[in-house]
Amino acid sequence: MIHSLFLINCSGDIFLEKHWKSVVSQSVCDYFFEAQEKAADVENVPPVISTPHHYLISIYRDKLFFVSVIQTEVPPLFVIEFLHRVADTFQDYFGECSEAAIKDNVVIVYELLEEMLDNGFPLATESNILKELIKPPTILRSVVNSITGSSNVGDTLPTGQLSNIPWRRAGVKYTNNEAYFDVIEEIDAIIDKSGSTVFAEIQGVIDACIKLSGMPDLSLSFMNPRLLDDVSFHPCIRFKRWESERVLSFIPPDGNFRLISYRVSSQNLVAIPVYVKHSISFKENSSCGRFDITIGPKQNMGKTIEGITVTVHMPKVVLNMNLTPTQGSYTFDPVTKVLTWDVGKITPQKLPSLKGLVNLQSGAPKPEENPSLNIQFKIQQLAISGLKVNRLDMYGEKYKPFKGVKYVTKAGKFQVRT
Amino acid sequence: MPYLGSEDVVKELKKALCNPHIQADRLRYRNVIQRVIRYMTQGLDMSGVFMEMVKASATVDIVQKKLVYLYMCTYAPLKPDLALLAINTLCKDCSDPNPMVRGLALRSMCSLRMPGVQEYIQQPILNGLRDKASYVRRVAVLGCAKMHNLHGDSEVDGALVNELYSLLRDQDPIVVVNCLRSLEEILKQEGGIVINKPIAHHLLNRMSKLDQWGQAEVLNFLLRYQPRSEEELFDILNLLDSFLKSGSPGVVMGATKLFLILAKKFPHVQTDVLVRVKGPLLAACSSESRELCFVALCHVRQILHSLPGHFSSHYKKFFCSYSEPHYIKLQKVEVLCELVNDENVQQVLEELRGYCTDVSADFAQAAIFAIGSIARTYTDQCVQILTELLGLRQEHITTVVVQTFRDLVWLCPQCTEAVCQALPGCEENIQDSEGKQALIWLLGVHGERIPNAPYVLEDFVENVKSETFPAVKMELLTALLRLFLSRPAECQDMLGRLLYYCIEEEKDMAVRDRGLFYYRLLLVGIDEVKRILCSPKSDPTLGLLEDPAERPVNSWASDFNTLVPVYGKSRWATISKCHGAERCGPELPKTSSFAASGPLIPEENKERVQEVPDSGTLMLVPNLQLTADYFEKTWLSLKVAHQQVLPWQGEFHPDTLQMALQVVNIQTIAMSRAGARPWKAYLSAQDDTGCLFLTELLWKPENSEMQISVKQNETRTETLKSFISVLETVIGTIEEIKS
Repeated sequence: MIHSLFLINCSGDIFLEKHWKSVVSQSVCDYFFEAQEKAADVENVPPVISTPHHYLISIYRDKLFFVSVIQTEVPPLFVIEFLHRVADTFQDYFGECSEAAIKDNVVIVYELLEEMLDNGFPLATESNILKELIKPPTILRSVVNSITGSSNVGDTLPTGQLSNIPWRRAGVKYTNNEAYFDVIEEIDAIIDKSGSTVFAEIQGVIDACIKLSGMPDLSLSFMNPRLLDDVSFHPCIRFKRWESERVLSFIPPDGNFRLISYRVSSQNLVAIPVYVKHSISFKENSSCGRFDITIGPKQNMGKTIEGITVTVHMPKVVLNMNLTPTQGSYTFDPVTKVLTWDVGKITPQKLPSLKGLVNLQSGAPKPEENPSLNIQFKIQQLAISGLKVNRLDMYGEKYKPFKGVKYVTKAGKFQVRT
Repeated sequence: MPYLGSEDVVKELKKALCNPHIQADRLRYRNVIQRVIRYMTQGLDMSGVFMEMVKASATVDIVQKKLVYLYMCTYAPLKPDLALLAINTLCKDCSDPNPMVRGLALRSMCSLRMPGVQEYIQQPILNGLRDKASYVRRVAVLGCAKMHNLHGDSEVDGALVNELYSLLRDQDPIVVVNCLRSLEEILKQEGGIVINKPIAHHLLNRMSKLDQWGQAEVLNFLLRYQPRSEEELFDILNLLDSFLKSGSPGVVMGATKLFLILAKKFPHVQTDVLVRVKGPLLAACSSESRELCFVALCHVRQILHSLPGHFSSHYKKFFCSYSEPHYIKLQKVEVLCELVNDENVQQVLEELRGYCTDVSADFAQAAIFAIGSIARTYTDQCVQILTELLGLRQEHITTVVVQTFRDLVWLCPQCTEAVCQALPGCEENIQDSEGKQALIWLLGVHGERIPNAPYVLEDFVENVKSETFPAVKMELLTALLRLFLSRPAECQDMLGRLLYYCIEEEKDMAVRDRGLFYYRLLLVGIDEVKRILCSPKSDPTLGLLEDPAERPVNSWASDFNTLVPVYGKSRWATISKCHGAERCGPELPKTSSFAASGPLIPEENKERVQEVPDSGTLMLVPNLQLTADYFEKTWLSLKVAHQQVLPWQGEFHPDTLQMALQVVNIQTIAMSRAGARPWKAYLSAQDDTGCLFLTELLWKPENSEMQISVKQNETRTETLKSFISVLETVIGTIEEIKS
């Protein structure tokens, strides 16, 4: 299925390759570089490229390209998902999925790739099973290893390989039994010039961190399960039970995993927590323009909005910007023409604003269109859809676990047009 | 950089590996080995220390073993004689008490990829298949496939295959999936693994125990199974229901495809399934992973071909946001223009209008073309937007708008008036060849309604010497001649100048010939010019003016969840054809020339095209001469050897068919004229042994099928079969091209 994998950095160096079947020459990547050149911007390289003998399916993550070489027809989603899984695993093991991290841990990377694929087919990809096969590197462990000389590989086979439930290993034991759930919602929205919502949607996930001994059987219920539109489930969830009772009933994997993901898309349910007042204007036949934006809270359910960042891609004719923020700090990169304003928290008494002058290239025609504002923010302790966990029950084990639920709302692709 | 001093590094490492002090210190020993691996991954040739590394594999340290195995697999093809020494250690490790070591050793041994290793790995693999640890069994099962590849010949070990089939009942789900994968590879020559009822039901019952990769692959394998009864079919569909809600998009798509294929006789079930996966698909379209978004969007477009209204209420999902990569934006724009309907047309057009002024010229142009294609249904609104865009006086916008106008007045003549009013002034903002051609064409065809048309063309004539594109000059010639017919007084002089220039000074042959042609045409007389230039503009049989008909779900169900939606059917066919041709090799000129003649070789037929020459039994003689009399006599004297009915939808063109048949050396003796219903044709062909094939094609449009009757002067079933398959391929291909 997957013949070979090449890791390529932004400047076009192939810094790692792995072949599962016969060795495919690096020159196959020339087709990829050709496409990259044609795309001008690295972001725009198409994910599927065909060459005379192979197909190249690639993903772009954290400034790295994962390029897989395929020789036969395959479901493209399958390969893309797998590549993301590889990147996720690197992230998980090394804390970041960067060229430096991969090069530093190249031996572990090879070990991982060897276990994740055999003969081109995915084998072990669950993080908790992999971690038993290959221990992740930690500073502490490398110190201990260097003293005791012990290895970073498990000497025994992962017991999970033998249990009847493929996602959970048998004989799990913890001294503190805990089950934590994070409800994370992201708002994707497009707001038009006048401040009305063109499109808004919530993408939510519930991530779980379960450290429970034995074979616990959990059921999680919500106050308002009807809210959820399209739900996709981790394979451990009993689908029939959800269909009939709207309760999530499952034997959880051990450790961290994504329990469900869902969407809330009916627009009247999606609250927009911030508003932006803006006036951006460029004068005809003059080399300057005005820039003025103010951010304020809208439907924030009484919570503080924090971690606000505004990013604006200014038109090409903008030479420089001379602005004063009332709060936070701003930077303007004259090469990429990106303005970034790190705002921080909103305090309703004094709304943060950023205003000043824009210097334009003299003689150039005034830009046709005002730039769009991309906004990032975060609200703790709130699921903007109003989703609430009702209770978590555990069956099959005797002990009392410690339970917790955390809510957080973030901006996804949140865009304000001006 | 180590690249420079590679020999020194090898020497130094070699010394370190041999040093008994280092060997005694586990940690230091391992560090040296790690360094070897590190250099190896940087592309340095480390094969010089092979012997020392083989020695290092005899250790209890698993990490060290792993590293050494990794090293061996990389360099074994380079040093096969030395690698044979390592096999001993590997064989011993295959019976280690630790299952992890057994598995590792077996996997490394199977991956050595050097000739002669087969005889050593056979026994360990067979032992591995019966190992009590599932980890080892998984490795061993895939090892079977690797061993088969090493053999290189098509000989299939029956006992091994049986063993693998029985391992499908293994309790470990990954062993089961690996068995499927392995069997598929081993039995490739015979068309892959056969899924019969017990296997299908067994797999279906194990589905929930598999991981997402396994599920996706099993769903793919299940496509081969055809349920016997309706009841069984619906049982299967019920079992698979929950996979439509899986967290993994790959599984969802796999399940959807299986539903679509299984329920191919129940259109309402298909529609129902597509409604149910709407949610997951839309979720994938806004997934964090841009690559997933892209592929999902391609599939959305595919579905829209059959169910145009399917995503209309979700049109806002397909609005582009600024930060998305281009390939996603372009897909979204395509989707938008396909899902437009009476309710959302206003919003969609407003949105597209916004994209037209995007910083990226490519994207802006794509948006304008999209408005142009919506204009075929909602003409007035779109023409108004396009006219406004001209007011921006931007070069890249104007040229595309004018091109859109050109296509539009041809497809929707009712908008001609509005377009003609918008055109004056455009010429100042057009520099590229495509745009100029479009503008000149419009001025030529509709010049009588544009007051300043002759003056604009005059500018072009003035500057014709500095014009760099021959296509523009050709267009100019035609346009000016047309305009001359409707406004002779204003054009005569410059037409003369242009013709003079083209004939006397122009260097490009095509332009010069066109000039000469018009000059001579004018000599014949003005009526003749009119007859040639102003004859009916388009042939309705081309079908361009009609809306593309909705395609039934079944026409693309088999392409779902493959690379076809990503590329579009026609491009995919060319790509896969290249791949097919490569595999065929150059020694088959007959098939490859045939493949080149038709732009499309559908997947299933492609296989057959290749099969025919492989069998080697059928070689049709080129240029067979047969008189109609002789044909008739032979036809009447023979009995029908084979009769068959092929599906055939809609119109067709006898000429194309005749040409295609010619390519594979089947001659047409006689056929009805185009358009006759029912339509008949008589074909003849002869193979190299002198066996004659006479064929009657009977097309009955009312049943939308093509009946084929073949007669043969010698009874030989083998060649008959090959002949029929050639014929089927040709007809299938033509059918495909047409749709």
